Amino acid sequence: MHDGSGRIEVRQLSKNFGSVRAVANLSFTVAPGSVTGFLGPNGAGKTTTLRMILGLVTPSEGTATINGMPHDKLGNPARVVGSVLENEGFHPKRTARNHLKVYAAAIGVPDRRVEEVLAAVGLTEAGDRHAGGFSLGMRQRLALATALLGDPQVLVLDEPANGLDPEGIAWLRSFLRDFAKQGRTVLVSSHLLAEVEQTIDQVVIISHGQTMYYGQLADLRNAQRPRVLVLPSDHDALSTALREEQITEIEPADDGRLAVMNTSARLVGDIALRAGVAIYGLEERHADLENLFFQLTSGQYTAAPPQQLGVPPQHPQDKGNTGWGGQR
Amino acid sequence: MGRLIKAEFRKILSTKLWWGLLIIALLVAGTWAGMLSSVFDDLAAELSRSEVMRLAGVRLNEISFSVLFLTRAINIATIFPMLFGGLAIASELGRKTITTSFLTAPNRAMLLGAKGITYAIWGAIYGIAIIGAATLGIVIGSGGDHLVGFSTWLAIAAAGVLSCVLWTLLGLGVGALIGSPVGTVIVLLVYGLALGPISDLVFTGMAGGDANVAGALPNGAANGLTGSTAADTLADEIQANATGMSKVSSELLEGFQDTARLAAGGLGSFGLLASAAIFFAWAMAFLALGLWRTQSRDIT
Repeated sequence: MHDGSGRIEVRQLSKNFGSVRAVANLSFTVAPGSVTGFLGPNGAGKTTTLRMILGLVTPSEGTATINGMPHDKLGNPARVVGSVLENEGFHPKRTARNHLKVYAAAIGVPDRRVEEVLAAVGLTEAGDRHAGGFSLGMRQRLALATALLGDPQVLVLDEPANGLDPEGIAWLRSFLRDFAKQGRTVLVSSHLLAEVEQTIDQVVIISHGQTMYYGQLADLRNAQRPRVLVLPSDHDALSTALREEQITEIEPADDGRLAVMNTSARLVGDIALRAGVAIYGLEERHADLENLFFQLTSGQYTAAPPQQLGVPPQHPQDKGNTGWGGQR
Repeated sequence: MGRLIKAEFRKILSTKLWWGLLIIALLVAGTWAGMLSSVFDDLAAELSRSEVMRLAGVRLNEISFSVLFLTRAINIATIFPMLFGGLAIASELGRKTITTSFLTAPNRAMLLGAKGITYAIWGAIYGIAIIGAATLGIVIGSGGDHLVGFSTWLAIAAAGVLSCVLWTLLGLGVGALIGSPVGTVIVLLVYGLALGPISDLVFTGMAGGDANVAGALPNGAANGLTGSTAADTLADEIQANATGMSKVSSELLEGFQDTARLAAGGLGSFGLLASAAIFFAWAMAFLALGLWRTQSRDIT
């Protein structure tokens, strides 16, 4: 039997579809009581990974367990894990209520549970309508209701915000936070960091099927080095003057600007004044998670991995697969 | 397992496919049986010209020819439980509801086992309803003449129900193997309505009416399952009723049985038990293949 911990563990997970390597040697742990964001651009392997965790796709290598067991050894799995997957189906001519009754029977929960979950997602009134007539947002709510039928300990959601209106997204956020506060586990995927930034504690960022970053969101935010974007009259003169002040990390940026790392706008301005270089624009950039996310996942970020990042203290065993671009 | 079977029943009963197909099956079985009974004269005339009849001095009125129409009607109506079974897994794959079905079952083997049991039961429900409709059609069509005796009827009814169950499971396997509802319906219809019957005809033509490879194919074996009972019944009745039976050589009687089996729709089939065993093996083979494919299929 499973250990009841509510922990999801993914170890050296790989999946090949023919010659396409969808997921490559992915490892991470999702601890109970937290909301973990599973981030990456479309096609990064998020959905495949989630489906391997849920036993829908057979891994080529590695293991994915919930409560220490693969999905098909959980006994009555819907009691342990509920999921909202993209592209999950409803029979268009079956009513929402009947859809839930089918799976209530399969899980072995009484029919009154159907009314409870319908109420929980706000679909009580629409319960006797055919799922085929539902909007995308209503379908997502019905999928969530189905996931909640077995009162599971773990929730896995694949792009749940798709099709939800802003009100629905806000509702989902507070729902997931409450769910995690009860000591339960949430793993939620998204291709937009901003969409889940306010909801998640921990983040797994993948690109091209590989882990790019795995750790606390707060660490990621703190690790972002401040940058100054400056538009000088003479690029070479300013670069030389900055290097004389031991400021050496200078890169060309967009719009003819220079990006200067690990400094402040004030310092750059003072140095420019002393060097007699006119400044037409000066801007300080702080932690921009979306930008960082883009850098991590665009495959163009080539800086050396900062080793202090990426490992939550309780899981030192995963060190080998963490950090920024550690596997590139 | 009980929970999953209950869930499968709820799945079936909460949409309209089951009664849509059932109503058409009943109409086809009833109409087919009724029509054949009412054009019985032609067939009777032909059979009465046969040498067996003439030599044996059998009077047609004493022979329960309606068994032939019963089996014919059953054979054509089995198309519908076959389609019903075919859509069991294929439509779940097509509509992606299989995802939730897998996620709420302890494992795939148990879900597929529950589906097999549920659809076997539904195959029997279809079978019983089809036999009822076909019987009613014959009673109306023949106006009460040449009706079969109860024990014969029961034997054919049992064979018909078994045939429906096996067709349902065969369809389920084919659907699971193909994985698309449209593809499944097309393949099953093309085989059940065209390829199966035509190949039976061709093989039987080549074999000069004897039992042949057609009887070893799914369609031929299934028709033999129902048709053999009818053919044997007719042959027995003729033997029992015939006044000049001594004049009928065993060779001739065998030839008559082949003709009767032909009339009952069991072209080139082997005997009842052999046909049942062959068709059972086909149904189980397709079921096993389909379930194996579903067991290993990645649900993306």
